[in-house]
Amino acid sequence: MSNTENIIIYDSVKGINLEGDFQGSIITRCKDENESIIFSDNVKISDSEGIFIANGLRVGFELTYNKKLAFSRKIEAQWYEDFESIEYSILISEDIMQVYDEGQFSDAYPYTLNKLNTAALYLDDNEYGINHLEFFREEMLRNPVSLVGNGVIIADRVVIDERIDPVFYDCLIVGRDENGDLLVSFEPYMNVKKSLTDVKYIIILGIEELKL
Amino acid sequence: MILYENRKELLLNVIKWGNNPFKKFVSTGEIKEDLDLVNSRINLIQKIKELVKNETNFILPIIGDIGSGKTHLFWALRNNLYYYNTIYISLEYVYKKLFSNIYSEFIENLEMEPLKYVVNQLCDKWGALERKFGFFHVVDIEKVQKFAFEQLVNKYQGVEPETLKDVINGITIHQLDPYKKIEAERWLLGELMDAKELSMLNLTHDLRKGKNAYLMLRILVENSKSGTILFIDDFGKIISIMSPQSEQVEEVFDPSWLYGTEVSPNDIAADKIFNKIVQLQNIEGLRIIITLKSKESLVDIRKKYSEKTPELLSSIREPIYLLEFKEEDVYELYSSTMSKFYESIDNTEFTKAFQNPYYPLNKRILKYVFERAEGNPRAIIKLLIKIFNEIIYSNESIDVILKDYENTSN
Repeated sequence: MSNTENIIIYDSVKGINLEGDFQGSIITRCKDENESIIFSDNVKISDSEGIFIANGLRVGFELTYNKKLAFSRKIEAQWYEDFESIEYSILISEDIMQVYDEGQFSDAYPYTLNKLNTAALYLDDNEYGINHLEFFREEMLRNPVSLVGNGVIIADRVVIDERIDPVFYDCLIVGRDENGDLLVSFEPYMNVKKSLTDVKYIIILGIEELKL
Repeated sequence: MILYENRKELLLNVIKWGNNPFKKFVSTGEIKEDLDLVNSRINLIQKIKELVKNETNFILPIIGDIGSGKTHLFWALRNNLYYYNTIYISLEYVYKKLFSNIYSEFIENLEMEPLKYVVNQLCDKWGALERKFGFFHVVDIEKVQKFAFEQLVNKYQGVEPETLKDVINGITIHQLDPYKKIEAERWLLGELMDAKELSMLNLTHDLRKGKNAYLMLRILVENSKSGTILFIDDFGKIISIMSPQSEQVEEVFDPSWLYGTEVSPNDIAADKIFNKIVQLQNIEGLRIIITLKSKESLVDIRKKYSEKTPELLSSIREPIYLLEFKEEDVYELYSSTMSKFYESIDNTEFTKAFQNPYYPLNKRILKYVFERAEGNPRAIIKLLIKIFNEIIYSNESIDVILKDYENTSN
C-alpha cells in the first residue's frame, strides 16, 4: 500500500488497530523497559495473530555484564502476538519521506563521521548512564536515533555543538500532541538542549550493521 | 529647466563620438544576439517550435545563402525556446573532437544545478537511494555501479565496457562519495585530467575522449527533463570536404601511400563526421537543426544518407528556406536596431522624438540600401555600417553625405 498521508497502523493509547499489510517507512515503538524502536519497510497486522514484521531493524539498549549497551539488530521475521508489547506503529507518508531523502548525501557536509558499529552517544540512566557528548564536541555523526521526551527522532546527522548540546539535521520526529494523538513532522534542524528537555538516549547506528 | 533641446543635434553628437548603431554584420555562436527576427521570418520560428514540440528526433535543414541570417536564426530560436537546452556548434570551426565539443557546449548550456539533478536522478534509478529498513540510505557504491552496468549494457549495446564503466563510475562517485566529489565534478564538467587524478576516481579517460563524451552526452540528454536542440551551423562542410580539390594544390605527402588510391584523406574525414552525426541521431530526444548554403548541398547529403544509412533518410525533414529580406524588413531592422541603440545610450525617448522615424537616415536611403544589397541581410547591415561610419568620420554635414547616396541611387 503506497501512501500520501501518515497512517497510524496501531496505537495502544487511542485504540487504533488497522488490519492488513502495510509497506513503506514504518516506525514501531515498543513498550519494553528500554523503550526500543523498530524500523521496517513492512508490517502485517491481524486481530488473531498480532503484529508481524519482516526484515526490520530493532534499536535499543540491553543489559550485558552489568553494563547497558546500545544495539541495532536485524529482525528477519517476527510475530508480536501480544499487542501489549507495542505502543504504536506508524507508516510515514511518502511526501515526508521524499523531503527526508533530499537531505541525504548533502554535499554541504562531506566530512561527517560514520560509525561502523552501533553505539550509544548518550543514555539518561541513574545507574547505567552514558555520556560521550563531550568526546564528540563539534563533530558531526551520521545516522542518529534518539528518544526525547515522548518523541522519537531519526535524523540524517547530529552535530554536538560547543555547548555540548546535540543538534539534529534533516530529522523526522514522531511524537504525541497534548491530546495524545500521534504526529509526524520533518525538521531541517532541531536543537535539543539537554538541560531543558529529557533526552532519554541517543544511539548512533553503525553503517556496517545497516548493510546487513 | 530645459525649455528646448535639439535632440537631432544631440543624437548626431553621440554618433559622431564614434558610436555606430550597426556594429556587427556577422553573427556567431559565441556572442549573444538579442534582436528578434523580422516580421516576414516570424513564421519560421513558429514552424520550428511546432516541429520541436511534436517530434523528438529529426534533422531539420535550414537553407540560406551566405549572410542570409542562419546563425542569427539560432539566437532567435534560443531566445524563443529558452526552456530547451539549445546547443550551437559550427562544423566550419569544430569538426575534430566533435563529441567532446558538443558535450562542453551542452554542459555550459545546462548549468550546474540541473546537471546535479540529472545525476542524482540517475543514481536514484540505479538504486542509490534505496531505503534500508524503510529509512536508511546505505551507500554501497559498488552495488550501485554493478546494477547500473547491468542496466546500461543492455540499453547501449555496442558500447565498450570500459567506456560504460568510466561513465558509471564518474556519475556514481560524484553523487555518492563525498570525499571524491570535487574531482568527480571536474570530470563531469569535461575538464582535462591527468592519469593520477583519473586513477583516483577509478577512471581510464576524461571526457576529451570521444567515446566517453558521446556516452555521457547521450545519457544526460536522454535523462534531462527539458528537451535538447543541437544547431549544427555550416553543415555543408561535410560536402565541401568530400568535393575534389583543385589540382594546383601542391601535395608534399602522397596520401595514397597511406590511404590507398580508392579513397582520399578528405573522404575519410567526411565519413568520420558523417558517422558521428548518425551516432548523434541515435540519442533519444536530440533534435538536430542543420544549416546549408544551397539546395544542392541538401541533395548531396540525402544521397550520402541513402548510400550509408537509408533507414535514417526519413528523419530528414523538408527544409526551411531563409529568403532574402523584403523592403519592409529593412525598415523594421533599422528601427529595432536604433531602438536598442537608444536604450544603450539611455535615451529611449529618441524612438518617438523625430518626425522622420528613420532619422538620421531616411526612407529613400533605406530603400537604396535594400536595392543595393538585393535584400541580403548581411549586405544590408554592411551598407548601414558604411553609411554611419561616413557620418562619424566625415567632416561634411549629414545632409551632404545623405545627398550623395540619394544621387547614387538615382
